Amino acid sequence: MRTWKIALLALNGLRRSPLRVTLTALGVAIACGALVSMVAFALGLQRQIETPMRLLALLNDIHVSPKEGERAKNAPILDDEAIDRLAQLPGVSAAYPNIRLRGIKIRRGDHTENCVAVAIPREAQMLGVAEEFLLAGRFLNEGHAPEAILGAPLLHALGFTSPQAAIGQTLILEASGLLADMAKSFTFQRKELSVTVVGVYDLPMIVPGPIRPGLLLPVDLMKQVPGAYFESALTRLKAGGDASMAGYGSVTVHVREPADLDRVEKQIKALGFQTSTTLSHFNEMRVFFIFLEVFLAAVGTVALVVAGLGIVNTLLMAVLERYQEIGICKAIGASQGDLVVLFLTEAGFIGLLGGLGGLLLGRIVSYGLEVAVGIYAGHQGATAPPHVFAFPLWLLGGTLLFAVVVSVVAGVYPALLAARVDPIRALRRG
Amino acid sequence: MTPGNENGYFVETSGLSRAYRVGPATVQALAGVDLQVRRGEFLAVLGVSGSGKSTLLHLLGGLDTPTGGSVRVDRRDLAGLNAYQRAIYRRTTVGFVFQSYYLVPSLTAEENVALALTFQGTVGAERSHRAAEAIARVGLERRAGHRPSQLSGGEQQRVAIARAIVHRPPLLLADEPTGNLDSATAAEVVSLLDTVHRELGATVVVVTHDEEIVRHAADRMVYLRDGQLVGEGGGRS
Repeated sequence: MRTWKIALLALNGLRRSPLRVTLTALGVAIACGALVSMVAFALGLQRQIETPMRLLALLNDIHVSPKEGERAKNAPILDDEAIDRLAQLPGVSAAYPNIRLRGIKIRRGDHTENCVAVAIPREAQMLGVAEEFLLAGRFLNEGHAPEAILGAPLLHALGFTSPQAAIGQTLILEASGLLADMAKSFTFQRKELSVTVVGVYDLPMIVPGPIRPGLLLPVDLMKQVPGAYFESALTRLKAGGDASMAGYGSVTVHVREPADLDRVEKQIKALGFQTSTTLSHFNEMRVFFIFLEVFLAAVGTVALVVAGLGIVNTLLMAVLERYQEIGICKAIGASQGDLVVLFLTEAGFIGLLGGLGGLLLGRIVSYGLEVAVGIYAGHQGATAPPHVFAFPLWLLGGTLLFAVVVSVVAGVYPALLAARVDPIRALRRG
Repeated sequence: MTPGNENGYFVETSGLSRAYRVGPATVQALAGVDLQVRRGEFLAVLGVSGSGKSTLLHLLGGLDTPTGGSVRVDRRDLAGLNAYQRAIYRRTTVGFVFQSYYLVPSLTAEENVALALTFQGTVGAERSHRAAEAIARVGLERRAGHRPSQLSGGEQQRVAIARAIVHRPPLLLADEPTGNLDSATAAEVVSLLDTVHRELGATVVVVTHDEEIVRHAADRMVYLRDGQLVGEGGGRS
């Protein structure tokens, strides 16, 4: 209680030179603002990339593909039979082929649009794909109904005014592609499919490639689309194999728990396939982001240390100005420790003030940048992500704490100087 | 000097010396002072400027440490105390009144008084109550909310006295408390010190160059010249 009362006296000290304290706190605020906005930028980028992985439950996935190059000739084929075997492995919840076809034309009345069609399992919801992935509607139903989930960027081109308006509507898909035959040649095929839109999805802006403006179709439907096997057939043919026995280019195996990843991956390799996991790429990416965040935080810390020197200067001035007052305090019973508490509190308060200002400044600057980039991107015909900066609570609290700690450390020298003031000398100065 | 039983003295110095180095020279501010003050006594230490009066007061108050001899206050040897113990000693045992008042300019009269209590750990309502009581004792209730710059010299010294007595110290030390005041105000301040001395039963040591102003209040007067006690006289004439 006594220490708290002495700490409160520090506020009185700060009140006496408001301009100097404000300017010093402003220095801390600018440094904190830079620190928090730079780290928030790195975190925001990380979030933009990680969110789709989380939404699509990609971290439990193993990507399986046939062996390539010289080893491909006699390697096992990744066909439906192989997929069934993979699905039977302990710990595996689903296995499905990765089929992605460009140039699929969607027709709805007078509206047409080209898109990429992506195969997803009908049990996608059960595989942990997040609900927030959908803007409207639902996931695919089990069974064989010709259903589709439409990418939000396609809504406008197809004449839908809202995601809800698309639900239940019928789309005509036109697909054409090459089909491999026994004679090591390909024949051209063209096909029309009718699908019902059951859901509309959207992904963060940063997701690369054509997935965002895509059309998600059930695997069983995608298998009927011409060209579904073309890529793997060509690969097989190049390796001197039989194109008609090509199977799929790759398969996704979804395990129930990430802990099963290693074991299942080994079992798949033992079956003669090559594998990779999203988690391993994810971990590499995380290391990169940690490095980026630490680097940006270090740059911000340099600014904060410079601001700390400002605090040292301000408090040294305060010690000189209040030299006699320090003598009075000692004469009436203040100990050296009391004076250390007094000046460290002043330093900490400047840090707190600057830290709070910095958080506000960082938020304002990042918001301004987001708006400015959005406007600029709009002029360039692009769409910028709405929230590039991420301000988690731990970042805000941590920055504030860091500002206070740096300020208190900066206050140590002036506080010790105040504690060592000779009261007689100080009183004689009057 | 008044002889007495060693255990009966509240303040006792023996061969007390204090030398300062000023460049290559050594200045002997006090040279072997033997002084005894009884508990509850009002002692005036008289001497011209530079005679060592303030140095003696600083040593008695634990603001300074002797270079020779000893100071015992309430049977406690101050020379054996470290910096923290001296702070505790000043906090609990001593009240200081200075010639230049030394009030904190940014605090009100009452806040200045309460400041001393803060360092003693008295907080909350008791702190406010005791500060108000001390302010009332020196007759400044109506000026409690004023800052030092809004008070006259006499009023500022009254605030300084309130600050010195707010924690009811057994030893009150006043260093030229009337040095900056006109004679009428000086007489009022000495009278106030005398009142406080009688009401609180504190031992008071006042150092001054003005014998006339303390003659009526002091129980005893001692004379200091060139750092040495050179004589003694009775007070309350």
